[in-house]
Amino acid sequence: MDDLESSLAHIRGAWMAGRSAFQHCPPEWRAAVEGVGAECALAALAGHAGAVLFRPAPAAALEPRRLLPELAPPTLPEPLRPHLRRLMAKQKGGASIERHWIDFVAARGYVLHPADWLPASRADWAPDGYAPWFDWVRGEDKPFPPPTFALDTYEQWSWAMRCAALVALRTRDPGAARAIIAAKASSEVAERRAMLIEILDTGLSDQDVECLEAQADDRSERVQVLARLYLARLGRRVDAEALATELADMLEVRKSEAPGGRASLAIDALKTPAQNARRRDLFKLVSLAGLARALRITEEEIVETAPVGAPDGVEAFVQMVAATGSDRACRMLLDQMLDDGAFPLAHARSLGPRLDAEQRRALQPRILMRDAEMFETTLTLMGRVLGEAALPALLASPGYAALTNAVEAARGEDETQRRPADALLETMLSRIAFLADAPAAAALLARLTAAGLPAADPRLDPLRFNAALTTEATP
Amino acid sequence: MDMTRAAIEAMAPDQSALAAASALLKPAKWPLRARSERLIWGECQGSGANPYRVAADLEDRGSKCTCPSRKFPCKHALALMWMYVEDGAAFQAGDVPDWVNDWTRRRRKGVAPPVAAGEDKSLEAAHQALAESTPDPDAEARRKAAALKRADETHRSVYAATEDLDIWIADQLRTGLAGFLGALGERCRRIAARLVDAKAGALASRIDEMPSRLLALSAEERVDAAIAELGKLVLLARAWRAAPDDPELRREIVNAETREEVLANPKAPRAISLWEVLGERVVTRRDGLVSQATWLMSLGPSARRFAVLLDFFPASAGRRGGAFVAGERFHAEIAFYPARAPLRAVIASREGAVDALDAWPDPPTDPFAHYAEDLLATPWRSETPLLLPKGRICADASGRAWWRSSRGLCAPLREPPPSLALGALIDSAAGVWDGARLALIAARTNWGRLAFDG
Repeated sequence: MDDLESSLAHIRGAWMAGRSAFQHCPPEWRAAVEGVGAECALAALAGHAGAVLFRPAPAAALEPRRLLPELAPPTLPEPLRPHLRRLMAKQKGGASIERHWIDFVAARGYVLHPADWLPASRADWAPDGYAPWFDWVRGEDKPFPPPTFALDTYEQWSWAMRCAALVALRTRDPGAARAIIAAKASSEVAERRAMLIEILDTGLSDQDVECLEAQADDRSERVQVLARLYLARLGRRVDAEALATELADMLEVRKSEAPGGRASLAIDALKTPAQNARRRDLFKLVSLAGLARALRITEEEIVETAPVGAPDGVEAFVQMVAATGSDRACRMLLDQMLDDGAFPLAHARSLGPRLDAEQRRALQPRILMRDAEMFETTLTLMGRVLGEAALPALLASPGYAALTNAVEAARGEDETQRRPADALLETMLSRIAFLADAPAAAALLARLTAAGLPAADPRLDPLRFNAALTTEATP
Repeated sequence: MDMTRAAIEAMAPDQSALAAASALLKPAKWPLRARSERLIWGECQGSGANPYRVAADLEDRGSKCTCPSRKFPCKHALALMWMYVEDGAAFQAGDVPDWVNDWTRRRRKGVAPPVAAGEDKSLEAAHQALAESTPDPDAEARRKAAALKRADETHRSVYAATEDLDIWIADQLRTGLAGFLGALGERCRRIAARLVDAKAGALASRIDEMPSRLLALSAEERVDAAIAELGKLVLLARAWRAAPDDPELRREIVNAETREEVLANPKAPRAISLWEVLGERVVTRRDGLVSQATWLMSLGPSARRFAVLLDFFPASAGRRGGAFVAGERFHAEIAFYPARAPLRAVIASREGAVDALDAWPDPPTDPFAHYAEDLLATPWRSETPLLLPKGRICADASGRAWWRSSRGLCAPLREPPPSLALGALIDSAAGVWDGARLALIAARTNWGRLAFDG
């Protein structure tokens, strides 16, 4: 074999350089290749020998990766996999829709099959149940982590698994989670330090102040900003007084003259676009507590009624409350917005991340009743609380009225009305499918087909999937 | 609305569509015809290896076909409805398959387009036109004589072309493979054009595709691959000159037989088995044709383990829906194009899809031994399907993916695999090996069936 390999190497060298290779022909082949077309005959034999006897070999021994771990929740039932693949493929342009489907399936207690979806290495938004896959995708998975996550076993857990365990620990025992974060944050890179600090968002309390103050001087600006935001929520941030005063001068607090009348923040449009832009910037630089001090009222007084005024100013104010307000202030403001029928609820979307799952569930019927943006605000505020809306709440919502109107318009003869209605219908059907619980989805399917939508209409696919996927377990 | 002959006439885009549909009214052209309430569907064997899937709604007369025709309804849809009107009992009652369900879900409700004003179309005229097109015996004899003359001219032209090819190959070796590989596209294009002129179309296509095959390899692999490919061409040309009437060699050099010729050929090997659709490989060729290869694997004790259904259509026709779903299993009789190691095939008859749970056959311990055997029988063959044993997909230091068997056999993959493949335990896999790269098609893993064809 070595002789043949050597002969083939010489033959190859000769042909590369444009010389005759006949002199390198193995003796056993000579009789077969001699005569007219000897070089071609030699090419036939050399090519055949090379193809049969040799195969490409890796430069070094190949080491397979560890097997993709199985996740704790059950995989989506096999019959529904093609259905979900179709839904996700249809929405390929919009990553956010993919997120909703991942969250929706997780909310029903399932995970996707890895052939249908594996998280990208930076898809940190996916539910914690996918943590083992994150670590595997990033090549950071660790074999056989100890069963208990604690300070002394921190290093033996892979990164995403650590985060998931810390989130769970923070809910169960906030102090223990804080102690681990305080001890280990400095050993992580800036991006991951910030992710650890974000875990403190759950159950943030005065006990976290010491830990946050230590992080407020971190070498990473991102970590500093995050720590200071959390301190502000706890009323521990001292703003530059001049900025707070400047912002306060651009606002007005109107007190009702009735006895016990409530304050209301007026954010009226300023004279020039530059002034409005400056005010928006100041909302990002000043905390709610700092603004309250500058206005000489309490935090609660600022949010005891929904703000009024220029939409961009109101939006910036709500974002400021969402970022720096206490849990109580956020909840009060959202309540006021929901109660004030004239307030555009879309401005409330930035408060969504400040709600925990229970609060979202409790508020869902009220949000649905006030959502005039075709379920978009509800979907944003619900976060991962998907597939839980009961039929009565959905039917009573303005979104459902808009949906039935769109069904009617889409069936109409008038092309100018039908086309926009068709597009709206698809969007609304997709959103309502993320919100409805399974019985509601089934009932909606029946109602919508009775209203004139063909049963086989592909726009009903999201609702069909919802109705077919029953809850496996509480996530 | 009831489906009637008048309705079909009204729907037809023109008289020629009806005439074309009338030629499809033979049951033999329809391996499958079925119905369920208002829906009828069927599979019509066209000129390609894959049958067209046709469905129609009897109520609103909507229809769908996987053929690339721009006429609507196409001749297949018209023929399906026509056959139903003439003999509805010939349509088996059955469950609506997924592809028909998908179509009905996607479509908007509407009615079939109205008859074009001023155009007179009739089914009778279509039948009559077909009858009139039958040639008389004298004309047939003249046609056969002309065909023989053309075949003789083609033979002489192709013979000269293969000798020309020998000279060209010798020139490439004589002037150096470094120069050949440096001007690969240009040199291959020139000889391919000469071969096309000489009516060696299949050989020309093969040479036309050589640059893309070689350039997909690393620079150091290209020399050996070029020698192997030039050597195969030498063997193929010499073999054809020695036996120009050999159907396999003629197929490789001139062109392939039609589907009808294969089905009518008593020497064409046949295999009745339970077949699994492994997957599909769609390649756009340099000549503007799209090659659609559907790989089938026999799950039963068939002498032929693999079959490939090859279809070609113009790239300008756009993406064509596949007639099969990966993983689908069905009982069928397959007719192979006669060959030393038969592979290319057409479906002679098939039954509906089945939910069979049969396991894949046991793979050989050394799958590459099968490749060597195939090369001994047909040394000009470019690639061979393999059933691979238990193994893993690994990445080397440069990130290239390899299949590695549990006994240490390795082969580099042609395409990057899906991420999951790197974390899956492969029980067995099916792929195509070309001597340098392994194109995996499907695998059975601890995560279930995994497709590699995108």
